[in-house]
Amino acid sequence: MRTILILIGNEFRRFTKDKTAIALTFLVPVVLIYIFGHVFGVGGSGAGPTGIPLAIVSETDAPVAAAITAALQKEKAFKVITTQKDAAGAEQPLTEAHVRDRMRGGTLRFALIFPPDTQSDALFGLKLKFLNNPRNEIETQTVTGLVQKTIYSSVPQALVSSLQKQGANFIGEENFDGFQHSLANGVAQAFGGDAEQIYSNIKNGIIDLGKGGGSSDSAASGNSLFESLIKIEAEEFGGGKVKSPMATRAVGGWAMMFLLFSLTAAATSLFDEKKAGIYQRLLSAPVRRTHILWSKYLFGMLLGLVQLVTLFITGRLLFGIDITSNLGNLLLICLAASTACVAFGMLLAAIAPTSAAASGLGTFLILTMSAIGGAWFPTSFMPEFIQHLSKLTIVYWSIEGFLQVLWANCTTLELLPTLAILFGIAALVNVFSVWRFNRGQIFH
Amino acid sequence: MLKISNLTKRYGEIAALEDVSLLLQPGEFFGLLGPNGAGKTTLMSLVAGIRQADSGEIFLNGAQFRHERVEQRAQLGFVPQSLALYDELSGEENLRLFGRLYGLSGALLRERVQEGLLAAQLQDRRRDKVQTYSGGMRRRLNIVAAILHRPQLLLCDEPTVGVDPQSRNAIFEFVQKLNAGGMTIVYSTHYMEEATRLCSRIGIIDHGKLLALGTLDELLLQLPFAEQIRISRNEQSAGHLDALRPFGEIVEADEAFVLNPRPGLLMSEFFAAAEKLGLPYRHLNVTRPTLESVFLHLTGKTLRDA
Repeated sequence: MRTILILIGNEFRRFTKDKTAIALTFLVPVVLIYIFGHVFGVGGSGAGPTGIPLAIVSETDAPVAAAITAALQKEKAFKVITTQKDAAGAEQPLTEAHVRDRMRGGTLRFALIFPPDTQSDALFGLKLKFLNNPRNEIETQTVTGLVQKTIYSSVPQALVSSLQKQGANFIGEENFDGFQHSLANGVAQAFGGDAEQIYSNIKNGIIDLGKGGGSSDSAASGNSLFESLIKIEAEEFGGGKVKSPMATRAVGGWAMMFLLFSLTAAATSLFDEKKAGIYQRLLSAPVRRTHILWSKYLFGMLLGLVQLVTLFITGRLLFGIDITSNLGNLLLICLAASTACVAFGMLLAAIAPTSAAASGLGTFLILTMSAIGGAWFPTSFMPEFIQHLSKLTIVYWSIEGFLQVLWANCTTLELLPTLAILFGIAALVNVFSVWRFNRGQIFH
Repeated sequence: MLKISNLTKRYGEIAALEDVSLLLQPGEFFGLLGPNGAGKTTLMSLVAGIRQADSGEIFLNGAQFRHERVEQRAQLGFVPQSLALYDELSGEENLRLFGRLYGLSGALLRERVQEGLLAAQLQDRRRDKVQTYSGGMRRRLNIVAAILHRPQLLLCDEPTVGVDPQSRNAIFEFVQKLNAGGMTIVYSTHYMEEATRLCSRIGIIDHGKLLALGTLDELLLQLPFAEQIRISRNEQSAGHLDALRPFGEIVEADEAFVLNPRPGLLMSEFFAAAEKLGLPYRHLNVTRPTLESVFLHLTGKTLRDA
């Protein structure tokens, strides 16, 4: 037993001296638990999606449009956009044409349109249009559900007002007012309460359908009622012709994670070669440091490109993902993603003191980047500050690029900003890495 | 062939090399003898162009050797102390790679690789991964990889570290053969036997300074005595050490006490005293001093203790 205790003590001593092991054991799970907690709503009121851009176009003066817009603006899941800047820089109300353009360009994924006939005196009910780009299934389902819920909970008053208006038109204002008084008195006699208060509520359309203390059955019947009264015309943008939507959505994120792992391993081989003394031999030959770094970099880019292409071909063979109809742009985004990923690997090799530290730090950063970059679930499900951070990750922009190509079938011109961001990240990271390599010990 | 002038290299506060100057003639086999941490590897890496000196100059065949001019490096070959080989590649693949980096290609590359494998006695194992080779085989391959391009100057940084005696002898014969073929060799070691056996001229280095330079005879002449007396190590001799100290400095070696006679001591005087003390002659042996003695004389410590 004494021997075992001595050996256990030794294991603890060694573990506490290994910063990488400590980080992998505690830091990585804590960060991932935090992110998963937010995504799956474990964090209470602060959890769930936040700040999903939702454009609202109102082509009607009906009060119901303003009421729904106000209700949606209160919903933390949405960042409601109602205006656009004109050429002079002045804010103007959004138009349907502008929103459709942005939906087509992929810069907007959800829009609610109140057409001119949203609410008419001739018809009881509402007509709305909901435009969506379902490139992320979980996000689309969540947004659709939230929009419906918000509409259903905010329109009863508007609908009753509409009904009252039609009733008044039909039987005359005076008769209708008399009817409402009689109704209030009848309710007061049958169920108790102040007849004047009940009349005021009826007149102002204050009702409660399927909410509060009502049973789930009454809630369901309330929703069912609204479904028949509120006509939401849904229209999908992008992905309509995608052969295998589920696989197309997922392939980019997973491919990126594995790409980061393999390219980080390739870059950190610098440490193994240093340990073996290879650089002493290479640098005593007609070989410069830049030759070594460039060879690593270009090899990494090619390896990454081949790996991504292999994964996409596998996706094609197994799940029917369409990779051929926009092949040129797919190769471009694969190249950009590989370039950025190998830059990340070189950065690790440049800043980490040892191979073990590089591997540990790499694992931590890759899992974190995959989580916050949208490889596993939509970024909109994470806290707002993480959504900002996610835009600093290679994973986020690579997935954006893959979806632009595979989902939206965009042109090279439309893909250019994403390509520029990925190549830009790679260039910045490389400048820093080269600076570090020149000051570091890897070649000494 | 190689001229080193006032070379200095510091790592922070530590002076790894301090004002070292050296001149090597073509065809020389020059030994750099010193303990671990003396500055041998630093000097080698500066000459090989791996590191840059803080001050001083290096001339190779009359031309100033510049760190940034990589084409100059093709004139020399460097055998690093570590086994700088790709373990996952075969011996032949390693040689092909390093040959190509030195600009060899086609038939010439094939010929040199073939010669290298023969010289390293690795022809039968040419296609095996280096990770399956013995220590001696790796060491031989390590040397061969540095000479494929036929350098005029070969820098060997402790090429026999961790090698068994048999393989060490094979390496000695190999580098001697290269030197006999006209190649100038700089060979660093902390084994005085290697320096004595191989080198025509030896530089003794310690704490970054070149303490002495010359042929073995020239170095031995720096000693204030021409002979040493080895006294067998046993209880009897140990009991008389104090009585023998007036005759010179007594140093403890592995199996003997070594007396470095004081200047002017007559051997007859010593032997008469030993006889009086009852020390049998068979326990006394007059020998020629070694490089170890020179190192001890120069630094006050043995190579092993340094």
